[in-house]
Amino acid sequence: MHVIVATDGSRASLVGARQFKWIADSREITDVTVLAVVSPYAAAPFANELGEQSVKPFSELSFSDDAKAAVDIVAAEFDGWGPTIHKEVRSGSPAQEIIRAAEDLDADLISMASGSRGLSRTILLGSTASRVQHSAPCPVLVCRPTTHSERATS
Amino acid sequence: MVMSADPHVENKTVLKRSITVKQLYFYVVGDVLGSGIYVLVGLVAAAVGGAFWMAFLAGVAIATVTGLAYAELVTKYPQAAGASLYINKAFRSPVLTFFITICMLSANMAAVGSLSAGFVRYLGGLIGLPEDAIWGAALLAVAFVVLITIVNLIGITESVVANVIMTFIEISGLVIVVIIGVIALVEGVNDPSVLLQFSPDGGGGPILAVLAGVSLAFFAMTGFENAANVAEETLDPSRAYPRALIGGMVTAGIVYVLVSIAAALAVPIETLAGNTLLEVIEADLFFIPASIMLVVFGIIAMIAISNTALVTVVAQSRILFGMARENVVPAVFAKVHPTRRSPYVALLFGAAIVAALLVIGAAIRTSQAGIPVDEQLDIVDRLATITVVFLLFIYALVIVACLKLRGKDETADTYRANTVLLILGIIGNLAVLVYTLIDDPDALFWVAGLLAVGVVLYLFQNFFGKKKPDLAAAARVSGDVERSATEPPPADKEP
Repeated sequence: MHVIVATDGSRASLVGARQFKWIADSREITDVTVLAVVSPYAAAPFANELGEQSVKPFSELSFSDDAKAAVDIVAAEFDGWGPTIHKEVRSGSPAQEIIRAAEDLDADLISMASGSRGLSRTILLGSTASRVQHSAPCPVLVCRPTTHSERATS
Repeated sequence: MVMSADPHVENKTVLKRSITVKQLYFYVVGDVLGSGIYVLVGLVAAAVGGAFWMAFLAGVAIATVTGLAYAELVTKYPQAAGASLYINKAFRSPVLTFFITICMLSANMAAVGSLSAGFVRYLGGLIGLPEDAIWGAALLAVAFVVLITIVNLIGITESVVANVIMTFIEISGLVIVVIIGVIALVEGVNDPSVLLQFSPDGGGGPILAVLAGVSLAFFAMTGFENAANVAEETLDPSRAYPRALIGGMVTAGIVYVLVSIAAALAVPIETLAGNTLLEVIEADLFFIPASIMLVVFGIIAMIAISNTALVTVVAQSRILFGMARENVVPAVFAKVHPTRRSPYVALLFGAAIVAALLVIGAAIRTSQAGIPVDEQLDIVDRLATITVVFLLFIYALVIVACLKLRGKDETADTYRANTVLLILGIIGNLAVLVYTLIDDPDALFWVAGLLAVGVVLYLFQNFFGKKKPDLAAAARVSGDVERSATEPPPADKEP
């Protein structure tokens, strides 16, 4: 079984990855691909809020480096878990690229976090998670931290 | 950096770039075409006279040479920061790099202001807004700024397909104008000799008349530099950039020259002067009645302007976002919305500054009620001029940087621009810059005002921000990841 774990550089996505690990049975899983998507035309193509916030000169700004760093941190969560871990950074519209990655890798599951709650969900249209689950070629696990999962993963 | 020792973890990250030459070409064309011709054609016509296509031609030539320098630099340094990166590589002066970044930010803010005011000219034509409704127009322009900011907050500008569709709509409007021009030529509406006429009130002969129009026509060419922002995501940048940049700008240039010739042939210059392309439609030469075409064309123009405004707002907020990451301006500008991943503080701040520019413009206009219409402030003109002043300076410096970086970081793949053309480009950019400032010294107050915003942010960060960002970051490192497991993610704190 090949699972895609998506990260957008947010804390929610890291917690979501832990939650997935807590839910899933590593014996069933052969491969995990940790995926981040850079959106080149967006105001912030990628914002990594995980790990060390390196202070870089504006001129050295690299969004794909930021995405790589986020992928590394999420991938490190799966150290010694069992399955082979792959890392991938794509570029384009996040939902579309996650779906494409699932098609390209012939994935059996996509795991991603949904940060949308309350106001932003009602006002700011659908989130990436809802768009992915709408047209994904495989099952989609939308992780949402609960008090129970947090106790178990901490 | 977290690196794994686990044999099951592949240490190599697969990087998949997505932007092709074609997409980049459409990005350049879409970005350039929307910006100026719809908004400024009347002002350029007023400054030059019937021969105003020459001003567009000169503007296109200078901008395309600048594009060559960008193409060379981007193939050497395919990173996201554009001009700031090149200036930093060439001069290694943090102060100069900071100054250029602030100039770029200011140019983008002024451009958004000019575009919103231009948008309202078309909207006003559609809804029948009286021309003397200064505050009504200002309010609509501010509403437009708010709207494009919201679109960017949601982040629906990411779509490549939408970009291509927008570009086709932009071109369709200009094709209509060119068709009208052909009809006008066949029907003999205006004597073709109008194309060689220069405005009598310039008084300085053809060269000065063209120069007077170039700085405004130049605004129509800006936006191509945004292509450098997506360098990281472009497939084979050393081949893609020269093709897409030069191809895109030549396309835009041909369209501009044809549109200005068509406009000059279809309507008297006095009618066009100071007005929009709607005048050309109103001449009713097209085979669809003018009453319908006015609405259709108005909507096309508004879509075109919106597209460019959206891209400009993205560029503007990205500069603030990047500077905040660098700790040059307060860190709050690097905050992204938990779900939409858009830098909302930077977006809202940018919108506030642009709104302030529009309100200041309206206030000045109100105080000028007594003086002749010709001498009253034209906010579209003023903000476009300010944008051009900033950009001409940046462009000239980018070309200098390009020449200075010759021989460094070159590979077999590096595109090499023609040196003679580049030197002509520096002269061209500076000549237009000097002329613009002599012609319109008041623009300097606005330039200073916008630069002051950047300096204030810098000082604020210096006095109230974290003094030792590196140490603070280092202290946070280890605790960060662990803590987030027990703490609810930030998304939960939303109302």
